[in-house]
Parts: sequence; C-alpha cells; structure tokens
Amino acid sequence: MDYSKQIQDIAAKLFADGKIDVFVGYRMNSFDDNQIPVVITDPKEVAELVFTEKSVFNLTNYLKADHTRNKRVGLVVKGCDSRSLNLLLTESQVKREKLYIIGIACEGVVDDKGQKMQNCVECIVPDAVVFDEMLGTPKGIRDYIVNADIIELAGKGLVERREYFEQIFENCIRCNACRHSCPLCYCAKCCIDQETATIYNGSNTSSSAFHALMTWSLHLAGRCVDCRNCEKACPSHLPLHLLHKQNEKVIYDNFQNHLAGVEEGDRGAFYKYSLKDPDDFIL
Amino acid sequence: MEEVKEKIVSIEKPDLIAPPDWKPVIVGILCNWCSYAGSDLTGTSRTQYPPNIRIIRVPCSSRVDPWFIIKALQTTADGVLISGCHPGDCHYISGNYYARRRFLVTRELLKMVGFHEHRVQFSWVSAAEGSKFAQVVKKVTEDVIKLGPLHLYKKENFSK
Repeated sequence: MDYSKQIQDIAAKLFADGKIDVFVGYRMNSFDDNQIPVVITDPKEVAELVFTEKSVFNLTNYLKADHTRNKRVGLVVKGCDSRSLNLLLTESQVKREKLYIIGIACEGVVDDKGQKMQNCVECIVPDAVVFDEMLGTPKGIRDYIVNADIIELAGKGLVERREYFEQIFENCIRCNACRHSCPLCYCAKCCIDQETATIYNGSNTSSSAFHALMTWSLHLAGRCVDCRNCEKACPSHLPLHLLHKQNEKVIYDNFQNHLAGVEEGDRGAFYKYSLKDPDDFIL
Repeated sequence: MEEVKEKIVSIEKPDLIAPPDWKPVIVGILCNWCSYAGSDLTGTSRTQYPPNIRIIRVPCSSRVDPWFIIKALQTTADGVLISGCHPGDCHYISGNYYARRRFLVTRELLKMVGFHEHRVQFSWVSAAEGSKFAQVVKKVTEDVIKLGPLHLYKKENFSK
C-alpha cells in the first residue's frame, strides 16, 4: 500500500487549479522511518507527501485547528478517518464544499514494531465512506468482530477487573493528550476540566483520572470510530481502547447494530431511540 | 438478646472492612415530573423508607449526563439511584427513551471497570406510585448494604 506518488500528483494539481488553500497529509519523520502529519500551504512542499502502511494518524483531527478552519482543505482519509469525518460533517463542524477528500481503500496500518494494528485486524469499514477521489480497490464492509481484549476481560472476576483498571487509572498522568488528539472532541470548553480547575483536587490522582477518562469515553460512546488516535498519543501507553470498545460492543448488540459514522447523516447512537430498546435492567 | 453483627466487607475490595457505624449514602437523581412527585407522595402518605437516600431533582431523566453518575461515585455515594417516568409518560415526549440508552451503556461500562452492577440502579416511578418508590429505595439500600462501602477512586482518599 503505497499511494505517495498519486497523492503528490493530486495535491499539486489541486494547488495549481486553485481549488485548495491547505493540504493535510503525512510526511516522513526526520529521525526515523515513522510518519507525522503535515499541513502544507506552499505548493513547493508537495513533494514531501507520502502515504504507506505507516500512515497511522487520523488527519480529521486537524480540521478543528485554526490553520484549517474556514479554509479550503485537501485531506487524505482512510476508512476509520472517513467515519469520523462523516460525523464532523453531520455535526456541522466542517463544510463539505470546502473539503477535497482523497479516500483510501485501506489495507491496514502497522505500529512501531511493524505489526498490523489491532483495530485494523478487526476493521469493519476499511474503505473511505466519504471521498471525492478513491485510491485503491474498495473491499466493502466486513462483519463486526468483538474486540479480543473485551472478551478476555469479560471472563475475569469483579475484583480482578477492578485491580486491572485501578492500575490503568493510576498510570494516567492527566495530560489530556487523548482528548486533544480525538477528532470528535471539539468542544471549546470541556466538562472534565472542571475537575482540575478546583483548588482541592488539581493533581493527577487515580480519582481524577477515573473521572476524566470515564466521562470522556461516555461522551464519545456511540460516536467513537476506533481510529485509536488517543492511544497513539498517550504517553503512558494506556489501553484506552478498552473503554471505547466496551461501549461500542454494548451499542452494537443492543441498538440495531449501530456503528458510528458509517451512514451519511447518522448522528450517533445517543441521538435517536427505539421503543424496543432493552429495559430489563430498570426496576 | 444481643444481635451478632456480621462484618460488612466491600465487595470490590474484599480486604476492606466497614466500620461498625457505617451507613450507606445513596444519591437519588429523580425526574421532576414523575419520580420526584412520586417521592413526594410517599412522604405525604406517611410511608416509611430508608433515610440513606439524598435526592437531587432534575427536569427529566434525559438530563442525567453519565458524568453525574461518575461524579457521585467519585465523591460520597456508595450507590446511585436514577429514576424517571415510565416509557411513554415523559413530560417531554421522548426524553426517557434517550436516557434509557445512556443508562445501559453507562451501567455496562461501570460493570467492566470493576463496580458491582447494584451500585448504580435505575427505575421508572410515576407520580402515583408512592409505595413503589418506597420499595425501590428499600431494595437499593439493602443491595448497597450487602455490597459494603465503596472505596474506589474516592476523592477524599487523596485530599489529606
């Protein structure tokens, strides 16, 4: 999977035609063979652009930044990225007519060790669902697979699960990188900051980490597209996908196989309801 | 005759034994139109129910952000009860249908991170069901007493 040449050609053509002001893509890191996102405004820099299986980040995160806001943007999206883009479009955060989207029929990306990422192994929508131009051959939607870690956790006892998650919340340093890297966390003022603003609990205790991560994941429930930008950004390497995948599984099982951002105009599981939703747990 | 008291152990932390004078604190978040009126009826009809519940009134059960539940568990609550109108009876037509979805997901996530499922409970209580409200509070209080004190991620553990 190497579309570097095609993307360079498309970006150069878009700049030449005056269709875009900014192009968001990937370029090689200067000190190793990993890639980093790059925002290009100068047509001369187009030759820097690359796209291989190391292009892991979700670029739709950069649509909420100041240097792309209210500008015409060219963008590269994989399957999962296009789902978050779909949600951003539905939630009126970006305008479709200002975007030129290069969709990728993704074959899965790899992590630092060269192994295929877990979310790519379990990927449901590998092809971009919103695009102006498609690169690669689309493979269609695959069957839903329950996350392997969630199945493993479900087999454990209550005390064991509590110990496991206590470790996770203790290791959180409350840097909020997960929130900043999430394309769907665009609120100008976030409710979890109220916790750190108070004078009596400003430090990174497991209590405040519990509060922040749980609230964060529940506010993303039914919207999370499993791009794992949060996990890539986390300096403590916490398995943040556990929280999201658990919500995703419950929503898929109970609410008519709902998957966030796959259909155009879909606003997430918590913005609609069915009369047949389960309520056997309510007294 | 003196009753021999059983030791109350926290279910999530079995090495933690509750002090003998421990009484559970339950946060009740009630919808203004049904459950709050129902709890009022319980009072006016002189039905006894456990005094452990602290009631917070909200406009509708769909006003309950999962954040409220997290916040209650993180501060003083040993259990949380959320109550709203029966499906179809919502004052705002469909608020409790939206709320029902959120409750299920919140409950399942809390279960996964190591809270017993009886820590957070939900009920539908209408304005006419004063006796049902008393029963619900009694059941929730008994459940939480069995589970013992909640000592997970408590804020006060870090404030000293």
